[in-house]
Amino acid sequence: MPVLEIAAKFGTYAVMAMILIFALGVVTLRNLFHCALCLAAALIGTAALYVVLQAEYLAAIQILLYVGAVVTLIIFAIMLTEHLAEKTVRQNNSQSLLALLGLLGFVALLTGLILKTPWPVTQTALTAKVSVMGLGEALMGTYVFPFEVISIILIAALIGTVVIAKKDDPEEKP
Amino acid sequence: MNIPLVSPAIRGIEFNADMIFVTAKAWILSLLGHFLPDWVVVLASITISGVVILCLGPVIMMYLTLLERKLIGRIQNRYGPNRVGKWGLLQPIADGIKMFTKEDIVPAKADKVVHLLAPIVIVVPALMLFLVVPFGERMTAVNLNIGILYFIAVSSITILPIFMGSWASRNKYSLLGGMRTAAQMISYEIPMTLAVVPAIMMSQSLSTNTIVMSQEGPYDMHWFIFTPWGIVGFIIFFLCATAECNRPPFDLPEAESELVAGFHTEYSGMKFALFYMAEYMNAFTLCGIATTLFLGGWQGLFFPSWLWFFGKTFVLICVMIWFRGTFPRFRVDHLMGFAWKFLLPLTLVNILLTALWQFTSNLAAWLWSILILAVSLWVLVKLNRTFIPEKRHYPLES
Amino acid sequence: MTIFGWGVFKGMMVTLKNFLTSYFRKPDEGGIFTVQYPEEREKELENFRNFPFLVYDGTPEKIRCVACGICERECPPKCIHIEMELDGTGKPARKPAVFDIDYSLCMNCGMCEEVCPFDSVFMDHAFEVTSETGSEGLVRHKEALLKSNEYFQKIRPALASTIDQKRKAAEEKKKATVQATPPPAAGAQAQGPQ
Repeated sequence: MPVLEIAAKFGTYAVMAMILIFALGVVTLRNLFHCALCLAAALIGTAALYVVLQAEYLAAIQILLYVGAVVTLIIFAIMLTEHLAEKTVRQNNSQSLLALLGLLGFVALLTGLILKTPWPVTQTALTAKVSVMGLGEALMGTYVFPFEVISIILIAALIGTVVIAKKDDPEEKP
Repeated sequence: MNIPLVSPAIRGIEFNADMIFVTAKAWILSLLGHFLPDWVVVLASITISGVVILCLGPVIMMYLTLLERKLIGRIQNRYGPNRVGKWGLLQPIADGIKMFTKEDIVPAKADKVVHLLAPIVIVVPALMLFLVVPFGERMTAVNLNIGILYFIAVSSITILPIFMGSWASRNKYSLLGGMRTAAQMISYEIPMTLAVVPAIMMSQSLSTNTIVMSQEGPYDMHWFIFTPWGIVGFIIFFLCATAECNRPPFDLPEAESELVAGFHTEYSGMKFALFYMAEYMNAFTLCGIATTLFLGGWQGLFFPSWLWFFGKTFVLICVMIWFRGTFPRFRVDHLMGFAWKFLLPLTLVNILLTALWQFTSNLAAWLWSILILAVSLWVLVKLNRTFIPEKRHYPLES
Repeated sequence: MTIFGWGVFKGMMVTLKNFLTSYFRKPDEGGIFTVQYPEEREKELENFRNFPFLVYDGTPEKIRCVACGICERECPPKCIHIEMELDGTGKPARKPAVFDIDYSLCMNCGMCEEVCPFDSVFMDHAFEVTSETGSEGLVRHKEALLKSNEYFQKIRPALASTIDQKRKAAEEKKKATVQATPPPAAGAQAQGPQ
């Protein structure tokens, strides 16, 4: 059904364009809260791209963690910082043009490099489908050591947060 | 169950009550397939599922509001609405007309775009959740193989429009209510996710259909709720689901007596109707998922599968409404403490119990499970004692 | 029993019991006591006090009111307006020509009933008073205010019977004094031929 394939291709390019527009919105909008919302939209678009690339598990995890937790954290930080979201921040200064030129040069260099590298794209890599079961087995089998190290790092971060956020008890007795 | 209502075949499709909706859709698609190209049939299939869900969601929400008002009325010694149509059955339509015709007030200093987008964005995940709910045998709209994960991910998007709504209103009550709502929803997501893990462990799959199928057994004794981890998991999941929908007793974010109306203070008319709709559709979907995970989904004797599903979900919704009529509100620190300090450790103990159940499932396993549960509950209750500050002494000044 | 969560369970049983018995219990036993107005109505109590009305005995001509104007003077919001009827020669006939009560001002206090010396103004039970022309339509004229003594008996039996007995006793006494005092001509005639 070539019509559906063309429609799917068009949809994918539209999603990519929206991701780029929202990403531009994150850095150029003047109200900080709007920037956070554009970030959320860009991340949801990325999840849609993962679905197109047949990695549905990754898409669900992307939405759960990024949009559900990270963006919420960012919004909490914006809201709880005093007066931060009421300011309208000026997003460019006199050096913008030079910076843009430098950036475009960098992008051209990077694109050239990416196009020239011989990526090891083999047939097995192209037709691989990651199943949740395979992911679980790999995480508990081959990659169990990094998994445990990550959990130790997370515990350390949690304990550190609690210690930093704890109020100092005044050691006075009446 | 095959209960042939009309003896044989309409174009070779057997007609029984269980498969009535599936065969209707197949019939329509085969009708379209005769004179339209293939890709239109694919699109039509998607459209039919979409339209059915888009009609089902709001209709369910409307009659859920009526059911709630009638049940709460009876609990509180009064009739519910019974003026508009017999037994108040046309009341939701009157409510809908009222909400359509109300004036849409936007505060002068509100952020207009975000204020408009918040109710729109909150309805989208609420409707998307209907896609993975197995309404009956072979009646899941989209049979994803990451069904439960999709469900958890999409229900976590709901936090974002609450922030948007509370922030854009530029109202301190809205902001306070929005922050509390977001904190509550994030906190209760974690025990909810962990309470689902045992069901996934036992059915070895994330797909909702497979979870229901793995609860198959003679006389429905294989539903997950008839196991020690199932009971605990179901209670935890149900409490977290009540908290996720901001329903009483977890409705501090929209407590009328404390926060005016929380994050939807500044919304009126159709926008408020959208918030309201999202809350009730969320409640329905969460009860639906609770039945698929623990109560056996559409499994049941003799009646069509979708009837069993709707019946079980209806019972759970009545329990939610019963909670509303019975309990006072949680205080905010009790709310958060309950999630983090009580429910979360209990879910971890529950996962341990499931692992035990995987090895054996006889009486010894039951006794061990009850012992472990009793010990852990006792420990948690002791650790969660109410904090009473010590009495201050004010020395007299002479 | 003080296991954790027992209070929650007991609370839910209470509401469940209330829900189930609400279908069976009568209103005075603790069931649902909603009165489905307008199909059902509450029982009217005798001293239920609403807007005033005028009493007539028998026919609307025999109105008890003599247009003394005491109720007009005593009414706190001043909602009564009375004009005495003048008969042919300009002398006041003891009947009102105009008796207006403005229901939109009336506060149902009952002072007019208390002060009337002729037992003619009493408080009615009718509360379903509407008007289609704003507050101008709520001014009630004499014709609308007149209601018969039988109606009065029906709505306030105790008070009406007391008043009827009082009036009958007063009538009897007046008749007795009229008969007891002999007419002067007869008396002069009786004394004449002495």
